[in-house]
Amino acid sequence: MNNMNRVSDSVVSTPLVPIFRHASIFDGGRILGAIYLITFTVVALLVAIPLFALIYGSLRSTAPGLEGHWTFQNWLGLFSSGVVGTFYTTLFIGLASALIASIVGTAIAIVVHRTDFRGGTTVTALVSLSFFLPSFILAMAWIIIGSPGGLINGVLESIGINDWKVDAYTKTGMIFVTVLHQIPFVYLMMRGPILGIDATFEEAARASGATPFTVLRRITLPLLSFSITSSLVLTFILSIEQFAIPALMGIPGRITVLATQLYLLVSFPPPDYGLAAAIGLTLSALTGFAIWIQRRIARGNRLTVTTGKAGRLTLISLGKWRWAANTLCWGYILCALILPVIILAYVSVLKYFSANPFEGAYTMRNYVFLFESSSTLRSFWNTLIVSGLGALIGVGLASFVSYFTLRHRPPGYRVLDFIASLPFGVPGVVIGLGLLWAYAYLPLPIYGTLVILIISFITRFLSYATETVGGRMVQIDKSLEEAAWTAGATRLQGIKRILVPLAMPSLQGAYFLLFMAFFREIASAVLLYTASTSVLSTSIWSFFEQANWGLASSLSLVGMVVVFISMYLLMLLTKRRPSLKLLERNKPTKAT
Amino acid sequence: MGIRVSNLIKAFDKTTIVHGISFDVADGEFVTLLGPSGCGKTTTLRCIAGLERTNGGIIEIDGQIVSQPEKDIFAPPHERNLGMVFQSYAIWPHMSVAENIAFPLVARGGNEADTKQAVLWALEIVGLTGLGDRQPSELSGGQQQRVALARAIVGKPKVLLFDEPLSNLDARLRDRTRAEISRIQKELAIPAVYVTHDQAEALSMSDRVIVMDGGHIIEEGEPRKLYRRPNKQFTAEFIGAANFLKVTYKDKNWYAPDGSVLTLEETIIGQEGEERVAVLRSEHLDIRLPTESASNSHVNALHGTIEHVQYMGPHIEYAISVQGVPMNVTHQMDFGPGTKILVTFGPADIHLLP
Repeated sequence: MNNMNRVSDSVVSTPLVPIFRHASIFDGGRILGAIYLITFTVVALLVAIPLFALIYGSLRSTAPGLEGHWTFQNWLGLFSSGVVGTFYTTLFIGLASALIASIVGTAIAIVVHRTDFRGGTTVTALVSLSFFLPSFILAMAWIIIGSPGGLINGVLESIGINDWKVDAYTKTGMIFVTVLHQIPFVYLMMRGPILGIDATFEEAARASGATPFTVLRRITLPLLSFSITSSLVLTFILSIEQFAIPALMGIPGRITVLATQLYLLVSFPPPDYGLAAAIGLTLSALTGFAIWIQRRIARGNRLTVTTGKAGRLTLISLGKWRWAANTLCWGYILCALILPVIILAYVSVLKYFSANPFEGAYTMRNYVFLFESSSTLRSFWNTLIVSGLGALIGVGLASFVSYFTLRHRPPGYRVLDFIASLPFGVPGVVIGLGLLWAYAYLPLPIYGTLVILIISFITRFLSYATETVGGRMVQIDKSLEEAAWTAGATRLQGIKRILVPLAMPSLQGAYFLLFMAFFREIASAVLLYTASTSVLSTSIWSFFEQANWGLASSLSLVGMVVVFISMYLLMLLTKRRPSLKLLERNKPTKAT
Repeated sequence: MGIRVSNLIKAFDKTTIVHGISFDVADGEFVTLLGPSGCGKTTTLRCIAGLERTNGGIIEIDGQIVSQPEKDIFAPPHERNLGMVFQSYAIWPHMSVAENIAFPLVARGGNEADTKQAVLWALEIVGLTGLGDRQPSELSGGQQQRVALARAIVGKPKVLLFDEPLSNLDARLRDRTRAEISRIQKELAIPAVYVTHDQAEALSMSDRVIVMDGGHIIEEGEPRKLYRRPNKQFTAEFIGAANFLKVTYKDKNWYAPDGSVLTLEETIIGQEGEERVAVLRSEHLDIRLPTESASNSHVNALHGTIEHVQYMGPHIEYAISVQGVPMNVTHQMDFGPGTKILVTFGPADIHLLP
């Protein structure tokens, strides 16, 4: 029977009224409307100010604040042989690091979760811990170990080997440390997909006669290919925006990448702000392009299936390869976590650097100095203010952004979503340069205060927080909020009584994430800090730049202890969590 | 006063989901919106709740206009005095059972003593007395469903709205809860709109059923009328297992495809050569072996052949061909495939669609 016939004879057809424009286009009351406007404005300003400053700066002939004229000279400067060479170095180091880190990180994740490897829980905990080890501390430790005047060469010398030396100030050294730094990220990214694979895919292959190893090769790895590619691209982005490692290891060895070249152009005379701005925009375009690719891959991934149906995944027996798995996992933890911490502890109690611990002159003066120096104490306070308060503001802003883009969706929410995601992947040193430039012009007296550091950190890491909070918010079934409205609650009451309590774990998680990110951030602070606004990361940085390894090491250790203790206390406060089972919409079981 | 929906239009972007439908729900009446998924029934319910903004038409609750976009009238859900039960129950996992149920009163600023009293009353009505301190995660699906129901009725709302509330329960629990919801609604005499795609729910609970398809109302009526005397083929098809026969009017009689004369309950006079569609419910049909006496002793008898047999336990489902027209019959007696049989039925069991 024809559908149209049936319809037309049953009802009088009615012309469609165009979508009616309500006088109050914003649905949800004045307070919420005001919050939306404020959120939108703040996010737009956070992103637009450094962006326009960079674009403007790249088209001017002189440094910010000086007389000058419009010019394309800076953009043409990109094609000079120096910049082109730097561009290739950046790509090479980024690709090599991403490739190696993705392979090793995925291998560790597979060994830990898909084989009968013993000690997987410990490895997971230690790899997650090394995720929070700042890259500049890792780089420092490996410079102490592997630089021309470092530990290894000292040992080699003392046992009479003089014609073979190691040098950390090389591309190999930089790639090695970058890989160590990125592996936890790859591991944490691959863990979910590896555990989420529907067991029936593998069981079907096993039932078809495949050995466990064949299943891994022919079923599991192909199923993971989207996730692996996606983590490869993200690792590439994180590698090319990396600042601390190439700055500490590359500059002494005269190896520049785009991020460090930008820094050198601004920090050392004669400064060339215009070229730096052009380089910054180019680098951002590169990461932006990579992010675009990653998003496309991630979207494709939705077609493949990791259902999250908890099945019993068959573990592969390691057999005679157990030694290799042990070497891989424990070797990584040794290089990325244990060795660096031991080295820093060792150097921090030495009077003079010595490769032989039996000949060293030991002292506690580095620690005593930390607590006697007012500038170091101030950097502790500055860190606590910037990380503690800044992360709070950041999470607040991210929560509003997530609420409006994911749940409320007032007019313009797509624009807000887009703007808020823009800074993701913009290298920190580029944001720093943009803000440096902008506040040289803007009449706001925030340059040289902690406010500009907070602004710069929030801009850089806002998208991390919105991802965390938003990931939880989409899990909370919409009907939980709707039930509150139909029960007589206003939108604001619904947010306060239902949404916030249910999203609380993610708010705490985002706070944790931002706190750690702010603490270990150096790239966007290095152009913005002053003597009175130095934070821990920049203080360690300047000690190390003055070749004072002892102070840099002791401050690194004390700083890490303080941060880990405060994070632990925070975790203790976040115990009670509502059961996730009820959050999600129950799938209607089609029973008839 | 109940609910009055007039000419309701709802579109998402450029797709119109509800094409100007109108219906009333009288005070204390239980009305079900029944239809296949995507027919606009849930959207209609959400428009009544105020969870969706409409694009046209008027919605009145208890004599007050709560939605009329043409005049820019829109009352948000919390001003509509509703009780709503969601398909997912939407029990808040961070509140105890009592806190969940108390929420409608707390949100409207009720005092503590009255709220406590009302929660106890609601718990008793849904049969959960003594479980107020439990956490939702400690409850079974059926109990969660009752909490949702208690939360919907605790504020003595002007209307009750149900969005496929039973679709997540298993079959046995569904039957019990069905009866329970009917009983409570009748006891409280609150007008109710119930959305479902399950005909058994619609027929057993409702005072009136509105059949929807493609954003239009196809037909409405009491359950018995819709089942036995539908006006539309869609209704007959959607509710229950129906057989359709093309019948022809010749010499003041209606003829079946096999040429046999049909006897109807009431005489329907057609035009010479007119064709109509007759509805026959498979459970109203009888089959027997085609003996001489059998064909003479039944007013309506069609000759057919059994093509397929499906053994279902309590009954057997037969696919029968009557002169090439397929018919389904549910019966208790055993026949083998290929058997020539007679399909017989009384005058009341055949209904000609208008």
